[in-house]
Amino acid sequence: MASQSLVARMDWWLRALGSCILLAVSAVGIWAIAARFREGLILTHMTQNVPWGLWISLYIYFIGLSAGSFLLSTLIYVFGVRRFEPAGALALLQALGCLALGMVLIWIDLGHPERFLNVFVHFNATSVLAWEALLYVAYSAIVLAELYLVLRPALAQRAASGGVSATWYRVFEFGDSSLKERWQQRAAGWLRMLGIVGIPVAIGVHGGTGAIFAVVKSRPTWYSGLFPIVFLVSALASGGGLLTFLAAAALRIRERQKLDLVGGLARLTVGIVAFDLLLLTSEILVVFYGGIPHHQAGWREILFGPFWWVFWFVQLGLGALVPIAIVSGRRTRDSLPWLAVAGLAVAVGIIGVRLNIVIPAQIEPQFPTLPDAYHHVRFSYGYFPSSNEWLVGLGVIALGIWAFLLARSVLPLEPVEEGVHGRGER
Amino acid sequence: MAEQPAGKSDGVGAAAPSRRQVFRWLGGIAATVATEAVPRVNSAASRSGGNPNRRWGMVIDLRRCVACKSCTIACKNENKTPPGVAYGVFIEEEHGEYPHVYRTAFFRPCMQCGNSPCTKVCPTGATYKRADGIVAVDYERCIGCRYCIASCPYGARSFDYGHEYIERPDNPYNQIPSSEYGARYGLRKKGKSPVGNVRKCTFCLHLQDEHGEYREPPACARTCMGRAIHFGDLKDPEAVCLVHGEQMRELLARRGHYRLKEELGNEPAVYYLPA
Repeated sequence: MASQSLVARMDWWLRALGSCILLAVSAVGIWAIAARFREGLILTHMTQNVPWGLWISLYIYFIGLSAGSFLLSTLIYVFGVRRFEPAGALALLQALGCLALGMVLIWIDLGHPERFLNVFVHFNATSVLAWEALLYVAYSAIVLAELYLVLRPALAQRAASGGVSATWYRVFEFGDSSLKERWQQRAAGWLRMLGIVGIPVAIGVHGGTGAIFAVVKSRPTWYSGLFPIVFLVSALASGGGLLTFLAAAALRIRERQKLDLVGGLARLTVGIVAFDLLLLTSEILVVFYGGIPHHQAGWREILFGPFWWVFWFVQLGLGALVPIAIVSGRRTRDSLPWLAVAGLAVAVGIIGVRLNIVIPAQIEPQFPTLPDAYHHVRFSYGYFPSSNEWLVGLGVIALGIWAFLLARSVLPLEPVEEGVHGRGER
Repeated sequence: MAEQPAGKSDGVGAAAPSRRQVFRWLGGIAATVATEAVPRVNSAASRSGGNPNRRWGMVIDLRRCVACKSCTIACKNENKTPPGVAYGVFIEEEHGEYPHVYRTAFFRPCMQCGNSPCTKVCPTGATYKRADGIVAVDYERCIGCRYCIASCPYGARSFDYGHEYIERPDNPYNQIPSSEYGARYGLRKKGKSPVGNVRKCTFCLHLQDEHGEYREPPACARTCMGRAIHFGDLKDPEAVCLVHGEQMRELLARRGHYRLKEELGNEPAVYYLPA
């Protein structure tokens, strides 16, 4: 009894500590975002040689997390993998939230954020980025609709339960409370349909985000047909990794069911990570065998440049080897905490992948001595994010965590007992 | 609603839309988007301006260049570019190992590519190609995403981060507007275009008259004391350099010539005659 209260007290203190840290980071982050909007991009360390920095890296990271978790959700709603069903709502929530974070980051990165609608108003059909903007809108609509469909039975249950909070849940019924039976018949079909439409859209969202870079022939490290595919595969990996972690940490379901779910997700994620390594190896071998100097320069920067450790330790170590070891280790593969760590390791490791995608390819100037031609900090060699860039990045992530915690407390993420869609599954 | 299969609607179907209905709505939205967006796409392409009978270009004779770099100073003067923004730059390269070294150098304006990657990738069509081949930027439309900088193989584009030569807002440098685009954008102020935009060399297109002919040649060509920078029309076979009067075609034909990164297929309008 005494030890139990000790655990509870420890738990409370840890929570309090975590909240304090999160609060501090978000406060500083909001201040940094305000500073960025007051002063402009002068606060960043981006240059004329490296026009895209930390924010763009985080933007593609979150788009990847989103597309990855959405594609995993289609395993449930399109391909009928019922085992992952308890994580369905969570996957869709992650898809929506991460998309929003990505959008916020690319918006903050614009020189004139107030003009972002120009992308739609003055749509330029030859620009991959313009098409991506359209796809993001379509994609968010699909994810939002799916999330609503998945949550609706549980929302209805809560709306019917009475009490103060029921008023809030009744909002989601849009004046139609007769949904229960009718909805259950239709929802599965609708989810399937939306999922089928969503698959090419999600592939477009992240493969297309990869294509933003891949079509740039002036940066040979990006200019590869493999690039959008690498984007997609690493998106699946990162999405799966974060979903594994969140499912282990945040879902309130039975322990056995959870282990089954989390174990399955972790194994799937690690499989994707292994495939990602295969693509990476192929790209590196071809580039170095070919030996075209410009093509190699970016990869040299990644493997042996000043931030070599991002590749070897973050991308390869944390993002690939640690999770592979955990999932294959006899002691760790059936342990929920370890599997959660594996998922988080992939999700964090892929940040390294994203940084290495965006930045090193730009480091080599368009002419070797171009930065010397003009003596100004914006024409210098190399790039390291400024304090404002770091704080804005961290702040956006912290705000994302708050949004997730809020969503978890108000949305019924766990499926209604005895089958959501009225089928006697498994 | 009426088309709902009777077996499934079980008598309550008033509120829930059928799948077919929703598809019809989506079709309507798509049609609206298409009819709205397609004319705009076309208008972006036809917005160009400039004299269609001209293709302005440069022939830079590196044998005549003495590396005084006054072309870059003239460019700064003409376009009043702020610190950290450079249209024309002078690139020097060192080759070999000490003590056996030699230097080469060349002036790099914007190449005004015939097949320009920057205009292709711009999500808003803010940077566009005029009929006379010059690539210009509509500062009001540019959202500052910097995709064009990433895509330019010549590093010919600069983002205006908002630096000032002198911090005080009423400093004399800030009292004269840049004459680029006919001084249309007025005095440069924090948070206002062209701050936060991508900027580039336009072959000083503000020096053109209303017929798209140059009243005087671009500043770099005009100022070059070695007469190394020739500027003129590349389309008309008889056209002469607007600065020194040599025939453009003859300049190209007499000696070998090359263009930078020819292999990328961008069709630059700037030719170099080897040193």
